[in-house]
Amino acid sequence: MISKRLVEGVDDRLDASSFIARNLKKVFPDHWSFMLGELALYSFILLILTGTFLAMFYVASPDQITYRGPYEPLQGRSVSLAYNSVLHLTFEVRAGLVMRQTHHWSALVFMAAIVAHMLRVFFTGAFRKPREMSWLLGVGLVVSGIGAGFTGYSLPDDLLSGVGLRIAYSIAQSIPFVGNWLASVFFGGEFPGTALLPRLLALHIFIIPLAILGLMSAHLAIVWHQTHTQFKGPGRTNETVTGTPVWPKFALKSVGLGFVTFGVLTLLGGLFQINPVWFYGPYVPYSGPSPSQPDWYAGWLEGLLRLWPNWEFTIFGVTIGELFLPAIVVPGIMFTLLAAWPFLEARFSGDRGWHNFAQKPREAPLRSGLGAAAVALMVVLFLAGSNDVLAKYLQIEVDTFNTVLRWSAFVLPVVAGVATFLVCRDLRDRPRSPIARPEAMTVRRTTAGGFEELHEPRAGAAADDEVRAP
Amino acid sequence: MSRPDRVVAGSFVVAILAAFGLFFVYLRGGQTQLEGALLFLTLGGIGVGLLVWAKRLMPQIVDETQSRHHAPVAEQEQQEAAETVMGGVDELKRRTFLSRLLVGAAGALGLAALFPIRSLGQVPGDTPFFTKWKRGSRLVDVGGNVVTTDTLNVDSFTTVFPEGSVGSADSQAVLIKVEPDLLQLPADRAEGAPEGLVCYSKVCTHAGCPLGLYLAADHELRCPCHQSTFNVLNGAKPVYGPAPRPLPQLLIEVDDDGSLVAKGDFTEPVGPAFWNITDGPP
Amino acid sequence: MTRKSAEARLLSRVLRIGLVLVVGGQILWSLRPAPGQAFSQAGEQGRALYEASCSTCHGLQAEGTVNGPSLQGSGSAAVSFMLTSGRMPLAAPGDQPTRQPPKFDDEQIDAIVAYLAEIAPGGPPIPTVDTSQGSLAEGSALFLDNCSGCHSAAGVGDSVGGGQIAPNLMPATATQIGEAARIGPGLMPVFDEDNLSEQDLNSIAAYLHWLRDNGDEGGLQLGRVGAVAEGLVAFVVGLGLLFLVVRLTGSKV
Repeated sequence: MISKRLVEGVDDRLDASSFIARNLKKVFPDHWSFMLGELALYSFILLILTGTFLAMFYVASPDQITYRGPYEPLQGRSVSLAYNSVLHLTFEVRAGLVMRQTHHWSALVFMAAIVAHMLRVFFTGAFRKPREMSWLLGVGLVVSGIGAGFTGYSLPDDLLSGVGLRIAYSIAQSIPFVGNWLASVFFGGEFPGTALLPRLLALHIFIIPLAILGLMSAHLAIVWHQTHTQFKGPGRTNETVTGTPVWPKFALKSVGLGFVTFGVLTLLGGLFQINPVWFYGPYVPYSGPSPSQPDWYAGWLEGLLRLWPNWEFTIFGVTIGELFLPAIVVPGIMFTLLAAWPFLEARFSGDRGWHNFAQKPREAPLRSGLGAAAVALMVVLFLAGSNDVLAKYLQIEVDTFNTVLRWSAFVLPVVAGVATFLVCRDLRDRPRSPIARPEAMTVRRTTAGGFEELHEPRAGAAADDEVRAP
Repeated sequence: MSRPDRVVAGSFVVAILAAFGLFFVYLRGGQTQLEGALLFLTLGGIGVGLLVWAKRLMPQIVDETQSRHHAPVAEQEQQEAAETVMGGVDELKRRTFLSRLLVGAAGALGLAALFPIRSLGQVPGDTPFFTKWKRGSRLVDVGGNVVTTDTLNVDSFTTVFPEGSVGSADSQAVLIKVEPDLLQLPADRAEGAPEGLVCYSKVCTHAGCPLGLYLAADHELRCPCHQSTFNVLNGAKPVYGPAPRPLPQLLIEVDDDGSLVAKGDFTEPVGPAFWNITDGPP
Repeated sequence: MTRKSAEARLLSRVLRIGLVLVVGGQILWSLRPAPGQAFSQAGEQGRALYEASCSTCHGLQAEGTVNGPSLQGSGSAAVSFMLTSGRMPLAAPGDQPTRQPPKFDDEQIDAIVAYLAEIAPGGPPIPTVDTSQGSLAEGSALFLDNCSGCHSAAGVGDSVGGGQIAPNLMPATATQIGEAARIGPGLMPVFDEDNLSEQDLNSIAAYLHWLRDNGDEGGLQLGRVGAVAEGLVAFVVGLGLLFLVVRLTGSKV
């Protein structure tokens, strides 16, 4: 199939020989933690593949139809064409349900892999110069991913996701001056509006995936061009990269990981029920089930909304809706801080050097401490978003749980941050145990008849990053 | 065959068998759990086979070192690049008046390009301030049946709409019956709550979710979304949770035939606040 | 005979008659039937059970005490619901009533219900709920509109505040579903015939029973709790498995 003649033929026409040779020989470090981003990439590919299948069946229309499919409890109900198409896919199309569930599980794991990858990049300082652009693209990918997920699970027009859309409408309304206008214009009037489903579809299958593809391609291209970071080790320097050549070993390992990812996601898709929209019924504006949570990656926002106090102000006749602070301002600050982090760290540490080494978290105790504090806060917010479900299973009073969580939102980050800082600093400053990495040692017989040891500095100890002048 | 060889071969064989299994299941009508499990074996089999092949069977080149190719940029080259770019920019800037006009034109186009957003939908106008309730609107339930003073017992509740607008998102209301002497409404509101029947907007003033939980023994309406809780005895003032404002009340009266009718629209605009909610309708 | 002995004889006769009357009266008095009740085995059993297990908190005349509310007017539906679902009797006053294995068998429960119908009449009777008469489609619509706000869309329950949990409805019998709707136990509101008719209850119960064995085409139901469980599985199973693979595949230096 791939023959020498073919390669030569392509090369001849595109003048690509040096490009091909150089890139196929490029080496990539293969530390396990560098593979987390690939998990996100392959989840996204499966999203595209399964999503294409789903798009062949979905009807983005709010017009009503009487359900006449095989699911008994909805027989004769008036449902939207959108909801009907999803039920049809679920109960009547072969492989429909496994495709739908695989698609949804892939979305959840996509976001989980992104977060794992982002944490790895953060705690190893891999966002430092020259990789700030990759970081910014990554933040864009997180936001796009949340948008893709929210628009996606709102497409079936079921009761649970419809309640989520109502909340989104209210959040938009809370923006001073333009909020009501924006919400009404985008939804096509007062909630629920007439225009929403086709717009959600356009966003979900076209606009946002295009954005993700673009951001992801740029992200990968930059990583490729700049070469990947690596941990310090024997024989490694800031100017070189040590690892496995792309072709054939690294590429095949990656493709293998891709297939394993597909396998795990389809296993989830077949064996674990997700978003059973038939239980929720079609969306009607006067019903709301309990518990009601968004998909996990919006759980932090849900937690903010549940914990935030009921402050509402009117200043000079302008009412700032209660939702504005927790749903617009705070997330805005969070994502701005996240995006600006490489620049903030460079500013405050004074380190504007060129870093190709990934750090162990202990090497940057302050950053690790702050990161741990942020993670702790997010954990509290996720718990808060699930508060009624957790309270049911733990048999505790939900309102008391909320109070505990409110205190935790302040206390836990401080505790986690300080503890992490101290542990990292201690690990960093502690002299290396000679047992951990045996030193090269020379034993010499002395003329007096005994032996003496000659200790030398460890061979190949990596020099510290050379700091380049800006 | 060495051990890794056998693992790789075995994985691929599993993948082939599972793929055939998939054909079989599909032809027999499909079954979600089987499809998922067989896909796992097919895809996972290929994946594991490739991984083990790459990791164990291919030459163990894991420590090849290359230069990262980041040569320090030659001073001259950098100068040249900067000059090339700035040369073009300066050429534009040289004609200050023209370039200012260009910026003006671009800005004006940008503003004009925003206008099609307006075409996307309706401006809100005064619709956020009103619902479909009017003086004399009869209360009907989800089934369209007229609600009378007999419909509810003490500690009962039901969802009501104005007649002709069943299912209306902004007009939805919840009618509750309590012991009449428990109500603590001010005089003008108490007139609109006959025989212990009190009616409030069902749209939560926090984020707009429908208030589906009535905790009868505590006389509280609770929202499933973020746990805002309202006391139905004193005008639905919020007693817990993030809702900032009480629920608007629908003042009702008993008609000659015992049916319940509204005395007008809700006492305040329904739902969460928007920036000019205190202004009233334009 | 002397006058004294005649008087003495009269006195002793009177005393003897009096003694017979008093002792006989006592005996007869102790054998008297309970006020307004036929002297029957079942009634006796109901009273005995009530007085042994319930009266400490609810009072001998079901009038209530500091430990428990009055049962006057609560109805047979309430008594039957609490006993058949094992919520009552509580292990200790002040405990949260939750579903338990019932402490009494059906015959004993019938006896207590009958006894309370005598001493605390009135209130909702035990409804007749026949799931075979119900319509699944109507049941699901009614359930979503009226019940899912507390009991969740699939009837598995949720915390509702006020220290209480709207319970999982899967273990409930059709009669218990009807009883709960009619009496509004705990924080639950009341749904009488004008709100939810007998046919409505048939349909809701039919739907809930259908949910016990149906609806999980997608696989493991994960408690039917929704996004919280799904997110947990995505991390623990999904990312967890992949993390293992990555650890095995990549290097550690």
